[in-house]
Amino acid sequence: MASDDTPSPRFVFPKWANYLLPGLIVIALGGGPYVATLAGLGASAEALNEGYRPDQPVPYSHKLHAGELGIDCRYCHTTVDEESFAAIPPTQTCMNCHQKIRPESEKLALVRKSHETGEPIPWKKVHDLGDYAYFNHSMHVNKGVACVQCHGRVDRMEVVEQKEPLSMGWCLDCHREPEPRLRPRDEVTEMGWHPPADQSREELGKKLAEEYEIPGEDYMTNCSLCHR
Amino acid sequence: MSPVEHHIHGRAYWQSLEQLAESDEVRQQVEREFPDLASEGASRRDFLKLMAASMTLAGLTLTGCRRWPEQRVVPYAARPEGRAPGAPERYATQMEVAGVAKPLLVTSYDGRPIKVEGNPEHPASGGAADAHAQASVLQLYDPDRSRRPVERDGERTRYQHWANFERFAGEHFAAHRETGGRGLAVLAEASASPSLLDMRRRFQKAYPEARWHTYEPLLDHNAIAGARRSFGRPVRRHWHLDKATVVAAFDVDLLGAHPNAARHARAWAARRRQADKGEMNRLYAVESNYTVTGAAADHRHVARHGSVAELLGALAAELGVVEAASSEPTPEWVKVLARDLRAHRGDALVAVGAAQPPQAHALADAVNDAIGAAGGPVTYTDEPLAGDPGLVELAGRMRAGEVDTLVILGGNPVYDAPADAGFGEALDKVGTTIHLGLYRDETARRCRWHLPRAHYMEAWGDARSWDGAAGIAQPLIQPLFDGRSPIELLALLTGDEKRDGEQIVRRSWQRWLPASDFEAAWRRVVHDGIAPETRLAPVSVEASPVSAPASDGNGEHFDLLFMPDPGVFDGRFANLGWLQETPNPMTTVTWDNPALLAKRDADALGVSTGEMVTIEHGGRSLDIPVYIMPGQAPGTIGLTVGYGRGEEAGRIAAGTGFDTYRLRTGDAPWAATGARLRKAGGSYALAMTQNHHLIDTHGYETRQERAAHLVHETTLDHYREDPHFVDRHEGGGHEKTISLPLWDDPESLDSGAGYKWGMAIDLNSCIGCNACVVACQAENNVPVVGKSEVLNSREMQWLRIDRYFRGDRDDESPAAVHQPVPCMHCENAPCEQVCPVAATVHDTEGLNVMIYNRCIGVRYCSNNCPYKVRRFNFMDYHSRSPGETHRPWLGIPDTEQRKEVIELKRMHLNPEVTVRMRGVMEKCTYCTQRINAAKFQAKEEHAKGERETERVRDGEVTPACAQACPTEAIVFGDLNDPESRVRKLHNNHRTYGLLDAHLDTKPRTKYLAKIRNPAGGGENGHGGDAHGEKGHA
Repeated sequence: MASDDTPSPRFVFPKWANYLLPGLIVIALGGGPYVATLAGLGASAEALNEGYRPDQPVPYSHKLHAGELGIDCRYCHTTVDEESFAAIPPTQTCMNCHQKIRPESEKLALVRKSHETGEPIPWKKVHDLGDYAYFNHSMHVNKGVACVQCHGRVDRMEVVEQKEPLSMGWCLDCHREPEPRLRPRDEVTEMGWHPPADQSREELGKKLAEEYEIPGEDYMTNCSLCHR
Repeated sequence: MSPVEHHIHGRAYWQSLEQLAESDEVRQQVEREFPDLASEGASRRDFLKLMAASMTLAGLTLTGCRRWPEQRVVPYAARPEGRAPGAPERYATQMEVAGVAKPLLVTSYDGRPIKVEGNPEHPASGGAADAHAQASVLQLYDPDRSRRPVERDGERTRYQHWANFERFAGEHFAAHRETGGRGLAVLAEASASPSLLDMRRRFQKAYPEARWHTYEPLLDHNAIAGARRSFGRPVRRHWHLDKATVVAAFDVDLLGAHPNAARHARAWAARRRQADKGEMNRLYAVESNYTVTGAAADHRHVARHGSVAELLGALAAELGVVEAASSEPTPEWVKVLARDLRAHRGDALVAVGAAQPPQAHALADAVNDAIGAAGGPVTYTDEPLAGDPGLVELAGRMRAGEVDTLVILGGNPVYDAPADAGFGEALDKVGTTIHLGLYRDETARRCRWHLPRAHYMEAWGDARSWDGAAGIAQPLIQPLFDGRSPIELLALLTGDEKRDGEQIVRRSWQRWLPASDFEAAWRRVVHDGIAPETRLAPVSVEASPVSAPASDGNGEHFDLLFMPDPGVFDGRFANLGWLQETPNPMTTVTWDNPALLAKRDADALGVSTGEMVTIEHGGRSLDIPVYIMPGQAPGTIGLTVGYGRGEEAGRIAAGTGFDTYRLRTGDAPWAATGARLRKAGGSYALAMTQNHHLIDTHGYETRQERAAHLVHETTLDHYREDPHFVDRHEGGGHEKTISLPLWDDPESLDSGAGYKWGMAIDLNSCIGCNACVVACQAENNVPVVGKSEVLNSREMQWLRIDRYFRGDRDDESPAAVHQPVPCMHCENAPCEQVCPVAATVHDTEGLNVMIYNRCIGVRYCSNNCPYKVRRFNFMDYHSRSPGETHRPWLGIPDTEQRKEVIELKRMHLNPEVTVRMRGVMEKCTYCTQRINAAKFQAKEEHAKGERETERVRDGEVTPACAQACPTEAIVFGDLNDPESRVRKLHNNHRTYGLLDAHLDTKPRTKYLAKIRNPAGGGENGHGGDAHGEKGHA
């Protein structure tokens, strides 16, 4: 307020400011490619972890157990249709069978040790979402979204790997149009399921979406559905 | 006088004296939500450095483009039956504070307790849990808790193992056993725990000569002494506020500080809500300090502390219970009260508080007999906490050399003992001292042995609520720091065959549970958290005649009134950041305990808020800053205890506040007379929130006018005459704004088939107790920022409670109104319209959601929010200690840049809610995680055919604030459900949307106007009296 009667002095760039010009040119020219590279790398499969396949402490084979032996997913991942988290089985579950089957196997050494000492097996997490995203297994399984939809053909994997990008855009693809990805509730753990011959996936999906009361796109793309 | 004139509005409401005086500081607060960043010391140079550094960092991220850190999933080796990983489980337990149980229901994730609620099955709680109980989970994970036994030998201290202590105790106590325990003494906290009493009996059997003392800094000895005078024996008075239409509270904080406050508040509020049916209870408060009870009262009378008993005597005389003691004319309001009590015979009660002398309690007993309250609104039971010799006597014996071994079972007497007891010095005269405590506190450091105590969530135990109902406290987690409970220590010292807490509790419960079916009965009590059959039976007693108290003089000097602190209580919760940072309900001061002074006294002394004074009493003095409290009785200095501790108290508590225990003496623990006050010079920064986040619409000038639209209140009589007073006031006099929404109206997204969430907050039952604020902080991982940041208006609580005063600047007792302000979830939300990245948007159910991972931190939303409910993470508050000074980012050495939250502090975090980082805006979400959980559960049950539809029923979603509320003032639900409670409340006549008529924000959170019920419709009352008229001026 004090400066009302005195005109403010005009600002003139000092002379040394000229030396900043080359820098500005570099930023103007380099800025575009910089942003493009950043965006490209950010969205690349590598950054999104598609194909992530860590070695696990126990060489457990889904191919053998789920594929060849045909054990249902829910035998081990018991809470998948009840809780948000699909439980990794306790050592006890392994030992239900392995006390009898191949009890001396080298590969099971850590499992036996865990069973004796009560020390858990430190599995490595493969499908890992951002901590700000809240995924609920039971909500998907109970609405007819199959395991294979996000986890791929686990029954063909010797070592589990991440098959899908698990990015938000990928989640939304399905949330915007769930129908073609639905199947009857009791078929969700079936790895090689096909719709009955007399029905197309789309038709069946529409019917199931209605039956399972899948809400519309507006609701399914609510931020608050997954972020809290 | 037309009814609408009685509707109180106008310029009458204000939040602080500075605001009334229109100080520059307040003006700046309104214009800039967050004041200058001067404290950060950011200069242009710093800014350039910062920019350069962030460019470098951006380059680093490019090269470091790879998967985020490897994560482990660790399953059980053998999973306990019925446990699902990542799923919440709830267990009933008890928290004993000062001998009274708070019945709780604790939520635990993967064996990690994170959230405390009240036990809805228990009448003492009804589902509500107060701020202390809410914050106790923070104490469980407090990194400053004592972790190992410590042995002190002269000046040397060393860490020890329990095994070594056991060896020591074995030898030492064997010697005592031979002498029958001569020279052995125990100092325990007040406790009604059946198991502790059982162990005490066993201890005294083993050591018959041993002496058992009890010390509790905030125990109501006056009430017990008064009961002895009235009834010849110690009885406990139970005030049933649900059965009383007229309640007269003489210096008692019935709804706030009383041990049974939660139940009082619930009962009182239930009667309060009858306003819509045209009837209500009436609360008179006579007090010298402004309490939440006084704020809720229909009539509040200010009296110097020493004269309250006299006024009660005048009331008794008016009712013919005693002979009038003085010839002075009875004040008019006492006559009104007496008439009211007489008119409501059998339907009214008189309650007296701990700070009043025994004679006042006896007087109230006689009055209650006279007005037919006894047996109805007032009942009596035995007092479980009476009878032990106290600390002063023990200190005398210690000085006399009669004690050679002292066991201190919990508590911190070196800090909180009366100043004249000389307990600390006496302790040095005792050869062997053993202290069991949660912290290595002042007492621990002066004892030979310190033993870590188990937190109540770590140990088996039991306790009795105020009505005497016993409940079992079950542990939720293994002791984190090798702690043991008092009963386990006693078992060790007596050489009991049972050493395990559970075994001890089981044994003591054999007297109550049938032997034939013990296991089933035990499981039931553990599960329910209450054994209703153990409730204390009412006793029939008759008060003996009393005489009116004589005048205590003119009060030439000051009266001192000592009160429990609403946050830290007696100091035991001092190291809990949530409680430190929760504003005091009346002063809004955080992290401190200033001396409360009446304006008149402050003016006479020439001090203002924040200036230092010296209080002198009984040869001791204390320098303390002043807070000028509107409604404080002249002549009375209000002091809360529990502050002013050093590093022994822990890193959070160290250096906060002032130690008022230094003025407290053994003969006058609650109130003292004859104190002197003088100006000390200098000032002190008090972190008050009263002028933070001020709601304004068009800057400071209009704010003062708009204030009238923030809270609405009227009297019951005028509400009856004009039920539409709120609508009339909100709609009239202002042009309704034209609705020009920028986005799709959320209504159009709402087909009526989905949910439409909404909230209703009833100002008529809100008492401003802060339980909701702490509950929200616990549920939503809201960080503690520290005093220096509160001074910058950066407190993070999503829910704040605005406290308004109404009345003149020089009014001796302005009325007060509390208004909880969470996010309004406006349908036409101003914040959404300015977010450049759409990080805050609406969902189809009407929630105004905040997407943290999208937010870039421009703070436009907060700027545009008319309610000022958005909070910005200026720092990574979770990873910092609130005590440390907040330096600009570049000032932090590289080694500390990637500071992670230590694991122990992470344990209390709610896994269902994102932990926000620096640079992100956040706000109330209506507890969206709870909404989702309820929806998912309904869907699952429907998928399994366990319920008819997928729809969530009314009452199945309760946000943390609503759950914690003792008065059920906050109601949440689906507005599309015609039968929901919230829909009915939104249709109530008293309901209004905050500033809705002015800004057309269409808030989903609505308020119900406050109704006061002064006697005679307002002529004499405090609630709706002439202030309404002034409002028009």
